[in-house]
Amino acid sequence: MTCRVGVDIGGTFTDFALLRDGKVTLEKTLSTPQDRSLAVMTGLEKLATREGQTLAEFLGGVEEIIHGTTVADNTLIEMTGALTGLLTTEGFRDEIELRRGYKEDIWDVRLEPPPQIVPRRRRLTVPERVLFDGSIYRALDEDAARAAIRRLAKQGVESVAISLLFSFTNPVHERRLAELVAEEIPEAEISLSHEVLPRAPEFERTSTTVVNAYVGPRVSRYLDRLSERLHQAGFQRELLVMQSSGGVMTREYLRQSPIRVLASGPAGGVVGGAHLGSAKDAPDLLCVDMGGTSYDVSVVQSGAAPARSGWNWHHRYLVAVPMVAVETLGAGGGSICRVQNRALQVGPESAGADPGPVCYGRGGELPTVTDANLVMGLLSERSEFAGGSFQLTRRGVDQAFERHVAKSLGCSVEEAAFDAWRVVNANMTQAVQRSTAGRGIDPRDLTLLAYGGNGPVFAAIQAQELGIGRVLVPRSSPTFSALGALAARPTIDEERSYIVAARNADLEQLRRLWRELSERAARYLKDAGFASAEVSALHQLNLRYPGQNWSLTVEVAERLGNNDIDFVSAEMRDTAIERFHRQHEREYGHLRAEEEPEITGVRLISSVAVPQPPFRGGFSAPVREASPTGTRRANLGNGFEPAQIFHGPELEPGHRMKSPAIIEETFTTIVLYPGWEARVDDAGDYILEANGSD
Amino acid sequence: MSEEINQRLAARRPGLESSAEIDPVTAGIIRGSFETICFEMATHLGRAASSAIINQSNERNASIIDANGRLAGLSVGIPQLLFISPMAVRWGLEFQQQDDWGPGDLFVGNDPDHGGGHLPDYTVYAPVYTPEGRLLLIAALQAHQGDTGGKDPGGFSPDSLDIFHEGLAIPGIKLVHRGEKRRDILDLLIRNNRLPSFSGDIAAMIGACELGGRRLEELFARYGSESVAAAVNFNIDETERRFRAEVAEWPDGAYEADVWIDHDTVGNRDVRVHVTCSIEGDQLTVDMTGSDDRPELINVWNTFSNSRGYAMAQLASMVDPGIVKNEGLFNAVEMIIPYGTIVQPPPNKPAALGAFHPACEIGEAICIALSEILPERASPQVYKLGMPNAVIGFDEQGQMWMDQGVDVRASDASATQDIDGWGSMCSGLGNLMLATAEDAESRFPVINLGRELTIDTGGPGRWRGQPGTLNVKKILEPTTAIAWMVSVEHPLRGLRGGDDAGPYGNRFNVGTPEEYEVEGSVRAQLPKDAVIAYQYGGGAGFEDALLRDPQAVCEDVLDEYVSLEAARERYGVVLTGVVVDGDLAVDIGATAKLRKELGAAKAERER
Repeated sequence: MTCRVGVDIGGTFTDFALLRDGKVTLEKTLSTPQDRSLAVMTGLEKLATREGQTLAEFLGGVEEIIHGTTVADNTLIEMTGALTGLLTTEGFRDEIELRRGYKEDIWDVRLEPPPQIVPRRRRLTVPERVLFDGSIYRALDEDAARAAIRRLAKQGVESVAISLLFSFTNPVHERRLAELVAEEIPEAEISLSHEVLPRAPEFERTSTTVVNAYVGPRVSRYLDRLSERLHQAGFQRELLVMQSSGGVMTREYLRQSPIRVLASGPAGGVVGGAHLGSAKDAPDLLCVDMGGTSYDVSVVQSGAAPARSGWNWHHRYLVAVPMVAVETLGAGGGSICRVQNRALQVGPESAGADPGPVCYGRGGELPTVTDANLVMGLLSERSEFAGGSFQLTRRGVDQAFERHVAKSLGCSVEEAAFDAWRVVNANMTQAVQRSTAGRGIDPRDLTLLAYGGNGPVFAAIQAQELGIGRVLVPRSSPTFSALGALAARPTIDEERSYIVAARNADLEQLRRLWRELSERAARYLKDAGFASAEVSALHQLNLRYPGQNWSLTVEVAERLGNNDIDFVSAEMRDTAIERFHRQHEREYGHLRAEEEPEITGVRLISSVAVPQPPFRGGFSAPVREASPTGTRRANLGNGFEPAQIFHGPELEPGHRMKSPAIIEETFTTIVLYPGWEARVDDAGDYILEANGSD
Repeated sequence: MSEEINQRLAARRPGLESSAEIDPVTAGIIRGSFETICFEMATHLGRAASSAIINQSNERNASIIDANGRLAGLSVGIPQLLFISPMAVRWGLEFQQQDDWGPGDLFVGNDPDHGGGHLPDYTVYAPVYTPEGRLLLIAALQAHQGDTGGKDPGGFSPDSLDIFHEGLAIPGIKLVHRGEKRRDILDLLIRNNRLPSFSGDIAAMIGACELGGRRLEELFARYGSESVAAAVNFNIDETERRFRAEVAEWPDGAYEADVWIDHDTVGNRDVRVHVTCSIEGDQLTVDMTGSDDRPELINVWNTFSNSRGYAMAQLASMVDPGIVKNEGLFNAVEMIIPYGTIVQPPPNKPAALGAFHPACEIGEAICIALSEILPERASPQVYKLGMPNAVIGFDEQGQMWMDQGVDVRASDASATQDIDGWGSMCSGLGNLMLATAEDAESRFPVINLGRELTIDTGGPGRWRGQPGTLNVKKILEPTTAIAWMVSVEHPLRGLRGGDDAGPYGNRFNVGTPEEYEVEGSVRAQLPKDAVIAYQYGGGAGFEDALLRDPQAVCEDVLDEYVSLEAARERYGVVLTGVVVDGDLAVDIGATAKLRKELGAAKAERER
């Protein structure tokens, strides 16, 4: 018997997915921004009630609660983190301010600097120096270090980031500094760069450590409070938290690098997508999540959502921990349409939920994408919206398009809406192309997975523009991230820097590094309640050609037991080199067989398999035509024509529909553009396929 | 090459022939696709290239050029370079197209006398044909190469007397013929380059350019080539219209500025760049007449394509950043670039260093001239470093290594109205990714000893320039170090009453009896373990420093951007307390009194 709960906190709603004995129950409750853990408890009570249990009984039987949180993101957006100080190597005080030269807009001389998390007065240096091979070039001057720490203490610093050059090759100075800080400022939280991100180069590591120190105390406090509430209410296991890499881990593990929960919300959806795709024989996916304000794109390959570490900018700060790569575009249902300099622009400004699009009838006056969809007939005044919570109104919509778009473009309201639809489509297509740029991915080889309230409206036309022939729309589309959290594995994804010509790689050193990583992972996973026999490990190496700046990650062995490193051999080394050449050719179109690649790092992904929500039904049904509930005049890209309307909740596995058609689901609308047909699969999800006609 | 060829390349070009009508929305969508394709090309190149200068520093650009040689679209990159690559492509279009150009071909050029910038900047380009066989667009990439096969490794020689000292000049040569790489030509190029990584770089450039070509072919299929042609015309016209609309708002008149370079590389002093910006209605004319033309000058000759590009990079920063960057910019501006001067040299002049100076001084002069009427957008898009602080050596196998010296630093980040100078450099260089110590030290025999902001080197002003950094480096092997000092006597100029930036300064053999301050220019052989220290110049100040908010000065002192003494002497702000104790406060009365005295003294001096 299994009982697991996924929880995803969004801006408006907190979503829940309960998996009990292979059956999924979904629940939703309003978020509570002042203390987000309150909504979590409310939603759990609702689930308990539905299960006919008290909260204590219910939580007593829950094995895992998996939680996606935006608390780190909110801390950076609101700039409400801890008062943070930085200690770094003498001579390198300003790396964090210089940002390797990066500025967000090369044409705008009026761009303001980002607020500094550690202004110069709170970033101080200590005399010391470690070299690239770990040798000590200059010993740590402890007296000078104490003086610097006291200067931080005087400023009331609550959290201290320590980032020294090459600490990932030899952390002895960072560790000693941490002891000195603990003596001088006992109450301060400490973030050590060799623990937060043990890799080169210094700007990326220092920035990540500083952001970690800044958001860490608030993230830890929040998780502690939630954990305490859960335990008081009867939950007996460790809370699992979603990481930006797409894996989940315990609060204890995250205490060292709470930054790993940043941007974990979208990661949950992508991980869920990967599992859903695998269950439906679609291991290579383009995941698009279109909500009210944004359009998030990510790629799943071979059933996995690859996390990338490195040049990830978030809220104007660089955070280099592994993150599921998500490209975000300011395009959602609430994106505002306006004409500027004769050009029609859609987004990134959004009308949000309040006042929202004009058609929400809540006082919105600017035309939005949702309003355009209403004018085009893709949405209807008569149908229920957002799970039946309200109905859309056409009142004011035409006037808004007339005033803000049609007049300037010299066209009709219906043409203006169509233009807005075209522009947002093109913007989304370009976002997809940017997200696959430089990665050797051809979108045509992918299946498009659409979720979020607005994703399915555009899914088929998006697919068509990208040359994709197949679209999946899960019926749980709007609460997909909570469901995705259930699919995420408890995972520790870490690396150690080791720069060496690949042929000269010391096998003993490789074994030592992998052993160190696996022991670390086993310890945390054991504390989380997973036996070491359950842990499986993926061993990877980062490689590049001499002179290159970006490494490629290659797997060097099949999935193994966590402590199993017998595979390390000269032969493995050769295989890794060969795989690197091939991957380089695949991604970049050329290889340099005559050159010897170099290893830059050793990676280990340790994870535990957990019971998955069923993305595949256990029965098959005869294929049959579904009956429409009516028709409506709608513009599906080729001008207005009658489209069949289907009522989603009435559709069953085996039902089939042909374009032009619109399927009105509880929380979303699926549009079947010309040339597309849909069927409901054995799990009740929608599969859309291009049928070659137009 | 001759003035005649330059004029022919620079001449305004007609629009593409097209039978299609285009609506603004579709034109906008196609423009977005161009930018995305350029982004894909540049990303591919950055990821696949072998040299740090391309894959780490991002010294590469992608653009789309139409069959008439007009800039049709571009990616983010380095603005100055973005505006140069069309000229190299035009040379191919004008002089080589008749010689068997066809689908699947790909070319490279780098010759300053045939449309190029300077020899290190290779432009690789691929003509792209419609399904009907019409040449419509050209996918182009430009990237800086670490060596050019000239007399000195690295391609920058303070004592070059002509272009042939600097390396292999390629007007235009076919690298790929109908989809097949020309091994003989690639061998020739690879043989003429000291850096072993060049073969990977050129392969990456070819791959990225071919990718761009495929994407453009997909675009023809998606929208129809006639519509794509019409969209190019529409977007270029729209940019011209918007640029002119801004100029029409500027007050008519002639605005002039001089900017001086300390000296050329052999000691000829006070090299002058003169710019007059004239505004008449919606017509802006940038006239460089009056710029230096002394024939004895060495290495301060900026090629014609560069002069246009640097001028346009500055102008594009002074209008609405939302104006799409394409040929419309050049259509909106008249440029007078006199032949035989340092801004349009006679043939065969060395070009490597001129692409820094006087190139940057053209931008600076335009900025100073227009700062009178556009204070809110006056920010010089320049660097005043002389030349990159590369250190070069050879390993045991005789292979060249080069730490290019594009290290993390702060230089020339000036203030503008309401905004202090910030970050590392001017906004235009915001895509240049500076090299880190940990990466450099695992590749090269160097130890970076420090690179912190130097107190008081940011130009004081009501808005303060960012200080410059002092980059100190120890080189563990014997090395060649090169430097050319251009902004010691003439540092970056303060705007609208702001103070000048702190100057540059370089010291070699630091901490030894042989330590010396570099003057003029030098190419030095340094022994093992030599320490070199580069003080980068700061950013310039904006408006009178005595008008700066005293509390902002207090914060600057707490952050050690400004010393207590400078607060008093340069800003007229009297502070009480101790910096390291964090208890500074403004003495309001004493500050008011001091500012009055300093203001009077300043008025006296100006009189």
